Amino acid sequence: MDFSDSTLDDHLFGIDTDENPIARLIRAWIDERHAPDLLVFQAALIDDLMQKLHEQGLVVSALQSDESTTEEEHLRITLVKTDMERAKFLIRSYMRVRLHKIEKYAAFILQTTEEQQKLSNAELVHAQRYQQMLANHFHATVLDALPESTHALDQTFPDGTSMITRPDRDHPVFVHARVPCPDVLLPDGDKITLEQGSIHLLRYRTIDTLLARGQVNLV
Amino acid sequence: MDTDYYSIDSILAENHKIPCKFEIDVQGLGYIDGGNEKDIKAGTKMLLPYWLAPTLSLQDWVDVEIPQPFSAKVRRALAADARSVKLSNLVGGTGTWYGFGKMMADLLREPQSSEISTTLINAFKLRLIDLMDQASHFGGAASSIGSSGETGEGGGEFREGLDATERELFTLAQGSVQRTKEWYETSSKLRSV
Amino acid sequence: MALPVSLHASTTPQELEFIAGYDMIEIMPSVRTDRIRVLSGTYGPLDALRTTKVPVWMALHLKARKKCRIVSPAWLSVDYLQDRLAEETSDKAFSLLPFRYAEIAKLLLDSAAEDIESADKIRLILKDIHEARQAKSREGLHQINDVNLRVRNICALELNDIRPSFVKSMDILIKLSPQAQQSHEEEDTFRDWSMGDDSYPVAADSTMETEW
Repeated sequence: MDFSDSTLDDHLFGIDTDENPIARLIRAWIDERHAPDLLVFQAALIDDLMQKLHEQGLVVSALQSDESTTEEEHLRITLVKTDMERAKFLIRSYMRVRLHKIEKYAAFILQTTEEQQKLSNAELVHAQRYQQMLANHFHATVLDALPESTHALDQTFPDGTSMITRPDRDHPVFVHARVPCPDVLLPDGDKITLEQGSIHLLRYRTIDTLLARGQVNLV
Repeated sequence: MDTDYYSIDSILAENHKIPCKFEIDVQGLGYIDGGNEKDIKAGTKMLLPYWLAPTLSLQDWVDVEIPQPFSAKVRRALAADARSVKLSNLVGGTGTWYGFGKMMADLLREPQSSEISTTLINAFKLRLIDLMDQASHFGGAASSIGSSGETGEGGGEFREGLDATERELFTLAQGSVQRTKEWYETSSKLRSV
Repeated sequence: MALPVSLHASTTPQELEFIAGYDMIEIMPSVRTDRIRVLSGTYGPLDALRTTKVPVWMALHLKARKKCRIVSPAWLSVDYLQDRLAEETSDKAFSLLPFRYAEIAKLLLDSAAEDIESADKIRLILKDIHEARQAKSREGLHQINDVNLRVRNICALELNDIRPSFVKSMDILIKLSPQAQQSHEEEDTFRDWSMGDDSYPVAADSTMETEW
């Protein structure tokens, strides 16, 4: 039995049917959910959806208040409204996952240019404010009562331990190959082939480039 | 095993005591193991907390030895039947045997370092299957811990012998089975529109 | 905290169900409408003369308003599922089912059971399939290591169930492995390799790959 014409997998996993922005958003959300690292903000996708949501909202309002709107039109409006609510849920979910990671790794992000490039402007502002708030809190509750020499929040110690929390790029993730992928190198030196459609449990570090390119997605 | 600076678990884990032999005399600190001596003489053995060890051993002031939870006797017991060893007895109810072991592997030189790593990995893999089976049998079921379910007496003992890391894994597995069960049993029927 | 702790390690079955709502399904409308344009695409127009494909969420909304009948997918039948169940219990491998079969079946059985032939029987068979697959999904633990594990034909819900424990187990094995110190230096090598040109090399010898 061939499932390809009846399931979302075609849209989600078929790299050439990316036109559907909802499928892309779902993929972006779930990728972000499972990735230990922060991924690049999907600015174009979110802007596009926000714009469309805004336009749909205007159309729906206009039609709903128009007395001449037919019953058939009302039905379609209801479906459009439901679709819009679903889309907003997806966008909020996407933003929430990112926010969680941004707060967790705020200090690290703010000292690494590469990481900052993954954030939207609003997210960057949030990271700065959050970090400042946290630092103020530490000072007010603990640090100001201690000697000045202990006040640093960004020290790295001789044994390599750092006060700054970094994402664990060796965190294992379940990876789905959307297309036939180039071989990847495993930490033990072996190469493996990710066949199209296959699912593997691998360290994030092994596939991060494939993920950034959209050749795999996290499941 | 969490290397995050703010991890409370790893801070607490560093309190595990390890046997150390002093290579030098130390004046005035004879009291730290509760003894009556004024000074510590070279050759004295003492249990010191893990967080002291790296500094002291790097300078060759002490010689670090393998702690009891990773002794040859324990390793033999694990090799015989990993599942019957009660890790919680070795490190205390809230202790983490794997975490402690990893800290020792980091601290010691070869070949002891790799020996401990291998012991830890093998034990973990062998115990993992039973751990998961039990988590799914008890996940979602309202059974009490003391009940003799399918896994009966042996199961209860095994669960008591888990170290903290294994218990965390057990809870994770149980939670996920529970969530799916609840979802399955709740209708998602659209209410009237 | 933006995200509840329980959601960190995994997705919830409810979220998976939500995603499954975007899968496509065939309906037989009982009304007539113009084309319906939503963010995921344009569907219809609907008319009572022929079946149309729409997203599951839309089908169920139309159904709730009595504007359509659901056409049961071919795989959601007693015969097909009984065959799969037989495979599940006789074979070590997972049988082939749609990735989101559990979520879609639940959505349809909960809200459109009258459109599914032998709905009650199907529920029972699905329960058995579900349990068989759940038990099977733990088998992979026998082969888990610190570098790679392949899973074949697993579906979304089973994957979701095992994810927290498999990820944590592998994470523990990674941290216990003597190579844990070296991963930083090896990072550049990984990048170079996987950023090779886009002509895909011949499949590497996969003897080191563990599968289940």
